Amino acid sequence: MSWRPSLLILLMGAVVARGAEPSPRVLYGSGGDFKGFDPVDSGDVESADQVCRVYEGLLEYDYLTRPYRVIPRLAAALPEVSPDGLTYTFKLRQGVRFQDDPCFPGGRGREVTAEDFVYSFRRLLDPKLESQGDWIFINHVLGAKEWAQRGDHNAPLPGFAARDRYTLEIRLAKPYPQLLWVLTMPYAFVVPREAVEFYGANFRNHPVGTGPFRLKSWRRNYRIEYERNPTFNGQRYPSEGEPEDRAAGLLADAGKPLPLLDRLVDYDIQEYYTMWQMFLGGQLYSSGINKDYFEKVITPELGLSDALKKKGIRLYKVPNLVTNYIGFNMRDPVVGPNKKLRQAFATALDVDKYIAVITNGRYSPANTPIPPGIPGHTNRPYPYQYNLSRAKQLLAEAGYPGGRDAQGRPLRLTMIMPGAGSTDARQLADFWAEQLRAIGIELVVQQLTFAEYLRREHDGETQLFIAGWVIDYPDAENFLKLFYGPNKCPGVNATNYQNPEFDRLYEQIATMPDSPERTALYERMAQITLDDCVWALIGYPLAYGLYQPWFQNYKPHAFPYANWKFYKVLPH
Amino acid sequence: MSAYILRRLLSVIPITLGVLLITFLLFRVVGGNPAYRIAGKNATQERIAQIARERGYDKPYFLNWQAFPTGLFDAQFPRLCRQLLRGDFGESIKTKQRVSTMLREGVLPSLCVTTPLFFIELALAIALALLAAYYRDTWIDRGIMVVAVTGMSISSLVYIMVAQYWLASEWRLFPVWGFEGPQYLVLPVLIGVVAGTGGSVRFYRTVMLDEMYQDYVRTARAKGVSPRGVLFRHVLRNAMIPILTNVIVAIPFLYTGALLLENFFGIPGLGRLTVTALFTGDEDVIFATTFIGAILFVVANTITDIAYTWADPRIRLR
Repeated sequence: MSWRPSLLILLMGAVVARGAEPSPRVLYGSGGDFKGFDPVDSGDVESADQVCRVYEGLLEYDYLTRPYRVIPRLAAALPEVSPDGLTYTFKLRQGVRFQDDPCFPGGRGREVTAEDFVYSFRRLLDPKLESQGDWIFINHVLGAKEWAQRGDHNAPLPGFAARDRYTLEIRLAKPYPQLLWVLTMPYAFVVPREAVEFYGANFRNHPVGTGPFRLKSWRRNYRIEYERNPTFNGQRYPSEGEPEDRAAGLLADAGKPLPLLDRLVDYDIQEYYTMWQMFLGGQLYSSGINKDYFEKVITPELGLSDALKKKGIRLYKVPNLVTNYIGFNMRDPVVGPNKKLRQAFATALDVDKYIAVITNGRYSPANTPIPPGIPGHTNRPYPYQYNLSRAKQLLAEAGYPGGRDAQGRPLRLTMIMPGAGSTDARQLADFWAEQLRAIGIELVVQQLTFAEYLRREHDGETQLFIAGWVIDYPDAENFLKLFYGPNKCPGVNATNYQNPEFDRLYEQIATMPDSPERTALYERMAQITLDDCVWALIGYPLAYGLYQPWFQNYKPHAFPYANWKFYKVLPH
Repeated sequence: MSAYILRRLLSVIPITLGVLLITFLLFRVVGGNPAYRIAGKNATQERIAQIARERGYDKPYFLNWQAFPTGLFDAQFPRLCRQLLRGDFGESIKTKQRVSTMLREGVLPSLCVTTPLFFIELALAIALALLAAYYRDTWIDRGIMVVAVTGMSISSLVYIMVAQYWLASEWRLFPVWGFEGPQYLVLPVLIGVVAGTGGSVRFYRTVMLDEMYQDYVRTARAKGVSPRGVLFRHVLRNAMIPILTNVIVAIPFLYTGALLLENFFGIPGLGRLTVTALFTGDEDVIFATTFIGAILFVVANTITDIAYTWADPRIRLR
């Protein structure tokens, strides 16, 4: 879930309701990478979305309040944290049951206990399951790395312990202030051991959770139907939100038992044209806006067209909490040691033109690696704003006047990007190449398959790479770890950037709880990366979504996976 | 004849190997090591190495000279071939499902579209070709040819978009998308027939006209055989060989599905599965569909050759 190149960030989605039916029928169209209902495999958007319908974890995001905060879900309260920040003690809600399923004696779901969380967390770390989500624990929880390396299921793992039936203890190797955030992620959801053992390799096709819905039927590549989980207990629609939420009608259902929908049907619609026809026909609750349709749907002022307004369709522009950028490999002998060259490159990028021409205005220009809405983001101007003459001057100072080195050879740089064969990727490649040509740099863009792109980036076989980082939780640390020296290739620091001052500050913030001091350090660290021009920033994408008037209680959320229980559909 | 059939069936080995080799080169060699995708961005080097080791991605592509002689074929491509020969199609990288299950589930939806499409198109194409040939150089012939050429000149995508917009969205004569019952198949089949019949009509008409100018047709007419008798008993029978070639070779495609129609109309068949796998680089699915497709193609060709002997007793297979 953590990372996706910008080209792959698509808002797909669509839902429907037939108001005439006694219980609303909701259809949803999704993108298609769905891996089944196993929380350990919920790394992609589709799988996470489906897993969250059926499974739950200790904590979840508060749906309506901003800034984002976590609230207890299966935990009875937020955990008690030891003074040294190394031990988190969770008391579980009593009486929460897994849904009824043949895997349990008599088919009746049993109560969730602390042992279930210990089992589920250990399962996430099991290397045989090849989960992409083990990073949430492996370097932080006491003994987790050693346990995973040993691969012995029966070996003790000191970091997770059930103190009694309802008390779970998580012990850390070092303070990990992000623990509460990562516990909201589907990777950390609870599964019953009985179901895993009963269904074996087919467990991913037989979800047995505690969540608001349960799976009724599933036809692969086509349709998933859920119904209300009759044993889902206790949760009610929130009665607190932001001041504007009441006016927007988002508190009209305050206190009502969840979920508000009885049935939920997802359809896997892959062709945008088809989805668009169905959305216009009122069959789907929502639609993204394809690049080719943008001008028909959105006015030059970036509002909704009159035709759609007349239908009551609503437009939401949601920041994705993503930063898109071009990364420089600091190990590369050409760009790595030459800061002026990197600065010239960044200054030659006409980001405003890119946003207008390539993205239909669906980005906002970036000024720091940390996107808006996250503590640590500042409004300081970007130091490398487009300026052709300045870029040429920097290039000359870098030793390449007019784009030629001392021997008169042209400067040629190579950038990799995913999307082999994609027209959009080609368009993007041509655009950036043209930008750099204006100052004399020959930019060769290699479009690679996603696997090959990942390999090259992971192994540090790059000079420049185009990428985006999708935030995992609303904490700037999630971005700043991309610059931390020890995380260099094959770690997440794909630029191989190493700055002793930055590393020292990172080690300092890594264990600091949220505070104004930590936010100030975040700002300082971001400024260091800007000064060193590690990334040439491109922008922060905005997701444009259209919603039918009868689809209610929708509030944009950067981590929307568990939100289906709040939505409702009016008769129409 | 049995020696011929055996020989033809044995040709399945080099053909399938060749097709697999090209697919392997495209997706594994050019496409990169799948272990990186499986492990994800946050993975450690050890995790990637472990996945590569367990799935054999760390082996050489074709021959393992380091393990010569006993382990020479302990390499990625020979392993893939052995795996497919065992009937083990592996596990989808993208969906983590068994590929054999995905294929099994996709066959019926594909056949639901391709079978009626195949038979309707065949019957209609032969009927129109006969009509055009019989009334050659009249307005009926020209009219049929104009419609056929127009039909085949327009992209299927245009038919799909126009039909989804007008027939389904605006006039609501058909569902836009889905696989809930027979009514959901009408529009994709209709589009398939409209888009696919034109070419066959032209081809069959040419074949029939070739036959209609043969001496035996003149003789039959001279002997007083009715025009209809000439057409059905003589011309159609003798035109069978090219028709059979065209028809039987198309049979494997019933299995592989209608890629575009399935994708646009939400038919959860093998065509859609293949398209999705191609877009997402889901190589195990692609290897499996390629493997099965190649085998079916060789078998269909062999059946075509055998059918020749039935259609024309003068033909001997050696």
